[in-house]
Order: sequence, then structure tokens, then C-alpha cells
Amino acid sequence: QRFRFCGDLDCPDWVLAEISTLAKISSVKLKLICAQVLRDLLGEAIEYEKILKLTSDARLESGDVKATIAVLSFILSSAAKHNVDSESLSSELQQLGLPKEHASGLCRSYEEKQSSLQDRLRACSLRLSQLGSVCWRVDYTLSSSELQEVNEPLVHLTFNVRDGERRKTVAVPMALSANKFRVLLAELKQAQALMNTLL
Amino acid sequence: KLNIGVDTIQHGVEGLSYLLTESSKLMISEIDFQDSIHVLGFSDELNKLLLQLYLDNRKEIRSILSELAPKLPSYHSLEWRLDVQLASRSLRQQIKPAVTIKLHLNQNEDQTTQVLQTDPSTLLHLIQQLEQALGEMKTNHCRRIVRNIK
Repeated sequence: QRFRFCGDLDCPDWVLAEISTLAKISSVKLKLICAQVLRDLLGEAIEYEKILKLTSDARLESGDVKATIAVLSFILSSAAKHNVDSESLSSELQQLGLPKEHASGLCRSYEEKQSSLQDRLRACSLRLSQLGSVCWRVDYTLSSSELQEVNEPLVHLTFNVRDGERRKTVAVPMALSANKFRVLLAELKQAQALMNTLL
Repeated sequence: KLNIGVDTIQHGVEGLSYLLTESSKLMISEIDFQDSIHVLGFSDELNKLLLQLYLDNRKEIRSILSELAPKLPSYHSLEWRLDVQLASRSLRQQIKPAVTIKLHLNQNEDQTTQVLQTDPSTLLHLIQQLEQALGEMKTNHCRRIVRNIK
């Protein structure tokens, strides 16, 4: 059977198996655990001790606690990935055997944070490099060893590029004559106009 | 504390670890182990201690030894993105889809990445080839070998 929150594929076996573990926790506590898992997915620190306290009533072993966090992470991030609305998610989770209260608690937490989650996932998407900043300087060359009177403007540009792989910022400096700079600017303005037609 | 020279202790530790790793490596039986150390002329009590030490630790030693074999870089995870090139400096009005893949690999605790780019038809061909490779496991030839290993 295909599920939208799994990307229109079958639900993975391990998720199916852990749904019964989720049912052991009370629905109120499950909603609080969801809040913690959402914090982790949004890049904030997860408070593992709080989760341990919340699961202590259900008498879960440490392996089960980790499995609970893993399955909640999967459900929430996969639903956000495939842009599933919270009603569909709730009905799909109930089809998998999650009790109604648990499903609606989970989906309410999901609904609150759905767009922040999607923003975060968009920011984490694969990106090879990113322009950090641009610095420039305009000089006027008076004279050189080759020619006594040069009298030409010169543009110094430095692109600070954030390399995605090595997580470092690399500075790419260059010097351009006035003409070259005009050509660069014209081409970039054309590219910008094309980008604006897509926005 | 033992009032013996540093060298003697070092040789003792080296000898003991050699004894245990070689025995675990070859997975020798109790009787073979006992016969081997009998030659060394230790007391019976010491022989029994050594045997117990061997039996208690051999599984763990074997699992550590199995990780020492040289390994090729192994798959860790994969990130991908689908882009469409609409225009370039030389040509406008294009539609050129491309899939960019970042392969994360593990090699002996070193994490490396490889960035690859392909067009959708090459990607489909790649998927087809990999599925064929998986399908090989179901042929009679592979099934026979797997059955014999088990």
C-alpha cells in the first residue's frame, strides 16, 4: 500500500514496527516528545534527558527510546519533504495502526512547524558553493614601468565564496580594466533580468 | 610493583598478545591451545588461566581483527538535486535538466565526498545497470554459491 508521506512508496518495515512502540506512550507525552524531535530537525539542541523522563512511564528500553526518536524524525521530515498536509498525515498514520489521539497530537505539532521545517530542509539542500560577499575598490593608475602616462581606472573585485564541501570561505580576487568591467556588469544584468522573470 | 625490569614486562606483554591474537586468528580448539602452551613448561594453574583468558576473549579479538583488513571506500550517504538550465551567456531559451549528486564515502574513518553530475537519461541507464547487478543475486549460479557458504 502506498503512502503519501513516504513519497508514494510503501511504508518502510522498521517504521511499521515502531508504530506499536509509539502507541505505548501516552498521547500527551508523545506530543511533547514530538516537540523535542522538531527542535532537533530545526537545528536546535535536542534535550535527551527530557525525552527519557517522558518515556520512563511507558517503561521503554534505551533502544526503544532511540527508535522512537528515529521514527518520529522520519515521519515528520518525510511528511514535510513531500508537502503532506496534516489531515492526510493523520489518516495515513491511523491506517498504519497509530491510535487516533496519538495521530492527531503528532499532526498538530507537525502543522505548527510545517513551514519552518520546509524552510530548513530547503536551506540544507545540496549546494556546491555560495557567494558570501563582494568587496570592490576603484584605483586610478598613473604610471607604470612600461609607460610613463597610463591614466586609466582599474577595478579590484574580491568574491568571498563559501565552499560547501570544505566549509571554508575562499577569497577570489581579480583586477579588471574599465571595459572588461562594463562587459561583466552588462552580462550580469542580463542574467539578473532572466532570474527576475522566474521569480 | 613486580620488581622486574621494564624490558621483561614489555616482552611479557608482547608474548601474551601474540599468543592470544594468533590463537584467535586461527580459531584453534581448546585441546590444541592446551597442547601448544604445554610445550612452554608453565605450571598447570597458569595453563588453565591462559586457556580461560583465550576462551573468554577470542570472540572480541576476532571482531577487532576483522576490522583490520584493508577496505575500499564504502558508501555512507547521498545528497542530490535536480536543476534545469534555462539560459547561459551564449544561448537563451534552453531546457537542460541535470542531476547533481554528492556522494559521501567512508574510508577507515576518513570522510570524503565526490560530486558528480549527470543528465536524466544517463541516470536512468545507471539505475538500470545497478538493478541488473542486484538481479544477479537471484541467478542460479549466485544462489548455488550463497547456499554453499551458509
